[in-house]
Amino acid sequence: MTTATAQPAPVTARRVRHTRGLPGDRGWRNAFWVLVFLLPSAVPLLLFTVIPMGASIWVSLHKWNLISAPKYAGVDNYVRLLHDPQTGKLFLHTLGYIAGYLPLVYLGGLGLAVMLNKKLAGRTFFRAAVFLPVITSWVVVALVWQWLLNPANGVVNAVLGALHLGQPGWWTDPDWAMPSIILASAWKDLGFVMVIMLAGLQAIPSELQEAATVDGATGWQRFRRITLPLLSPSSFFVVVISLINGLQVFDQVFVMTGGGPQGATQVVVGQIYNLTFRYGRAGDAAALSWLLFVLILVITAAQLAGQRRWVTHA
Amino acid sequence: MPSAVRHFTTTLAESPEPVTDRRGMPPRRIARPASRITVGRIALYLGLIACAFVMLFPFLWTVVTSITPGGTLSQGPTLFVKNPTLDAYRTLFATLPMWRIVLNSFAVAVVATVLQLITGSMAGYAFGRMSFRGRGVVFGAYLATLMVPLQVLVVPLFIEMKVLTLQDTYFSLLAPSMASALGVFLLKQAIEALPRELDEAAVIDGAGHLRIFTTIVLPLIRPSLATVAILAFMASWNSFLWPLVVIRSPELMTLPLGLSALHGQYTTAWDVVMAGSVVSIIPIAVVYVLAQRHIIAGLAHTGIK
Amino acid sequence: MNRNRIRLLAAGTGLLALLLAACSQGSASQPPSPAGNDTTSSSPAPVTSSSDTASAATGSAGDETSGASSSAASSAPESSSAPQVTGDITYMEFSSNGGHEKDLAAIVDAFEKANPGITVTVQTLPYADYFTKLQTAIAGGTAADAFELDYQHFVSYSSSGALAELPNVDATPYKKSLIDAFAVDGKQFGLPESFSDVVLFYNKTLFDAAGVDTPTDDWTWADEKAAAEKLTDKAKGVWGDYQPISYNEFYKVLAQNGGQFFNEDKTKATFDSPAGIEAAHWLTDKSGSVMPTAADGAGTPDFDTNLFKDGKLAMWHTGIWMFGALADVPFDWDIAVEPGNTTKASAMFANAVAVSASSKNAAAAQKWLEFLTSSDAMVNTRLGSGWELPPIGDESKLGAYLDQPKPANRKAVFDALDNAVLPPTIESQQEMQDAIDDALTGAAAGNTTVEDSLPAAAATVTSLLGG
Repeated sequence: MTTATAQPAPVTARRVRHTRGLPGDRGWRNAFWVLVFLLPSAVPLLLFTVIPMGASIWVSLHKWNLISAPKYAGVDNYVRLLHDPQTGKLFLHTLGYIAGYLPLVYLGGLGLAVMLNKKLAGRTFFRAAVFLPVITSWVVVALVWQWLLNPANGVVNAVLGALHLGQPGWWTDPDWAMPSIILASAWKDLGFVMVIMLAGLQAIPSELQEAATVDGATGWQRFRRITLPLLSPSSFFVVVISLINGLQVFDQVFVMTGGGPQGATQVVVGQIYNLTFRYGRAGDAAALSWLLFVLILVITAAQLAGQRRWVTHA
Repeated sequence: MPSAVRHFTTTLAESPEPVTDRRGMPPRRIARPASRITVGRIALYLGLIACAFVMLFPFLWTVVTSITPGGTLSQGPTLFVKNPTLDAYRTLFATLPMWRIVLNSFAVAVVATVLQLITGSMAGYAFGRMSFRGRGVVFGAYLATLMVPLQVLVVPLFIEMKVLTLQDTYFSLLAPSMASALGVFLLKQAIEALPRELDEAAVIDGAGHLRIFTTIVLPLIRPSLATVAILAFMASWNSFLWPLVVIRSPELMTLPLGLSALHGQYTTAWDVVMAGSVVSIIPIAVVYVLAQRHIIAGLAHTGIK
Repeated sequence: MNRNRIRLLAAGTGLLALLLAACSQGSASQPPSPAGNDTTSSSPAPVTSSSDTASAATGSAGDETSGASSSAASSAPESSSAPQVTGDITYMEFSSNGGHEKDLAAIVDAFEKANPGITVTVQTLPYADYFTKLQTAIAGGTAADAFELDYQHFVSYSSSGALAELPNVDATPYKKSLIDAFAVDGKQFGLPESFSDVVLFYNKTLFDAAGVDTPTDDWTWADEKAAAEKLTDKAKGVWGDYQPISYNEFYKVLAQNGGQFFNEDKTKATFDSPAGIEAAHWLTDKSGSVMPTAADGAGTPDFDTNLFKDGKLAMWHTGIWMFGALADVPFDWDIAVEPGNTTKASAMFANAVAVSASSKNAAAAQKWLEFLTSSDAMVNTRLGSGWELPPIGDESKLGAYLDQPKPANRKAVFDALDNAVLPPTIESQQEMQDAIDDALTGAAAGNTTVEDSLPAAAATVTSLLGG
């Protein structure tokens, strides 16, 4: 396999992206191989995700509390949701979460990946340490962060107090509850982003860096002109996945604030959970999830369309 | 903590320069005073150590609470234990069939991971290397499966399982995680990033898709496979709502269900809960360390010598 | 490609529609309307009318039930077990989770010994996950033959047709108010399984040290407030009082203040009356003055329990289920009936058991439930283990409970029942409780005022009543 990279890619990392398949990829033979490669994933996705999705459209057209017979309701559920001022708030809270979370976790994860891609003593230890919160359960993380951000005797406010800065009420204050969740979430997910970015960094041939160094590029120039562009597929992945996951944020809200105080952190999926399993309004929940679907679809489509603009392939 | 975070982000903001500076170039080091580099190194290490502590702290606290007699959360986190004891672990293993539970979780997670690696890399190859009509639309449909929250799919999926008479089986635990569009997406990105010249050369040698996929593509995307493996394992390991709904037999119980059962309606023995958390973290940490080796091995294989 | 996908979705939708329709049997017919049994426990439903077994209120499942039960109709519930009732039944429950699993197993053993033809398989889930599981199981038509419910959830389940009517229940063993609570229009849809109430716990050592008279059953809010203020010592981290700021406390203090939760015909929420505002203030004004705030940690798991156990809480409104947790605290403590304001009222919570409308083994399931709720084996197990109290009417059987040493004033547990109020229930129970919880905690945290938030919550609840 070492011969594989015998031809070093040109230093200018930008290249035209070609998406043509192998020469002669046409006709039945090609269709056969496409099916061979796609069916193993398509069949389970179809059976165990797409069919339930279809069923949830059906549910969204009914009034149903799970324990009695569903009653057909047409688009009533959608109409009610669109008229409910609460719905807008749910989406605002969700988008607010992403606006805070995404930059934090992306920059933090990228920085960590760059640092931990160096040859350092104890690198494995540091990588494992950063990854530990990713695998720690949200129940424990929430307890720790509630304690750290305790308005009365938490460490954070103690430090802020010593610096003569304001001491917010964090998760007990409607204005600060969402930032509290954002901090805890970004902290927990840093390791995830770091792993993705590390994999991306390691796919960059070091010849590129070395050649640029010979050409007299400074560290910043190399980072800016080589590393970042070549990382763009990883960055793209992180951004798209963070958006898809962020729009469905639930666990951390559920365990940290339960949507409170006074609904200030209630997010779309939190309400979907409540509607389905606590309020006996599965139809409304399904309708709400399809509103969310449309939003995610639009955002992701915009991302994919924009991919050409800023994603570079080696 | 924000102070730590802030400190840590400023370290990050400054880091790219010295970091790329040092990357793999002892033979032709660009001139910089040795002392400055040393200072930078020390700062880097201090930053990393502080960061590592912040990251490790909740885990350490979990361990400490689990060995504190009658451990509660009332005093807030502490790292000091008077009279450490393993009683909580004994209680844990006495109240729950822990070995069975861990084994279930492990088996399901391993099978789900392997399946997702296979299905994901094949689909990633199809989307990243093959051309066919409607490729964009099909890929869009794959991504669309990520866009409806699980909370709303659980009930229809459960009814589907009941109709297929598959509820309360290992298969039902696996069903929703046999393929993941997330993994497909990640592996497609990785495959697209591979230089085309490789497979073009192989085609000239007469290789077909299967050979290109297994002998050229798979070895080169090992870092991404390792990443997908970690994600798949974790998702299965932590999955709660679906197993809760679909499993009835205690013999099929998985870890998150077991841990949840430790919370009483009115009071909770936190030392036992924390002991359970420790038991649930260790296997996944091991998987991570193993997968991480593969990331590095993948690096070696892409031939940066 | 796009069109194919849509066709596929349509096919999946159609399939699932069929499935759903097929699975929701047992609720096809008109569900019985919820009874007007709202706040008080004294609604006199005629228990005897449940002998009318032929009225299959729950569709096909009701037919099965009546068919099976007519053969067993002659058997008296407890003593002579009808030999023809056999089968394997499943029973799903939450209340044994976290310490009483063995006690439940003992009751099952006793039942199986007395009824050789029936085996009971118990499935225990933690309370927090229980209703998620139960609802999904019912939706999928795979519910256990018999399952447990708490009083708050009973109304939604019975009015949704998820419960089978229990024919020929002998009401005599049960405390009348409890068995009546689970009858709808004179038909029994559940059996009381256990109950508990809320009393005022106090740390006698703290009271004595401060030279404050300990609470008596005659105390009023004013007495409690005065004592709480004297006992609060924030410098030492000692708090005078703790009362959760939640729906479950609010409906009770409302009753203590003479307020009504709903209007007469239960079409409008009336808990924002002046009496209700005053009651809400009684709860929320404690926060920060004599009681720790949310920022101090109130509301986090086990916070109040640990505070009391650490000897830093003088008075604590909580349930008698806490006796076990306080078994070996190093200070002296006791209980009293909760103080009232214009009148006395104590919160009572009851758990019920019911037979699933889709059960194929309803007769055996009912037999098990009658044993579980009224047998002497159950009474002895419950009293011996300090589990929640048995729902039986014969108080002489409860003597063993009163004889236990701690707390000394155990009598208060039963005295409180003289003025017990059950939580108001509606079909959208959880949504109502969340609305009231939000209104109260918001006011306690100072983010809003009771005067603003309570009427808003009442408007929300009124709209929920409309369906």
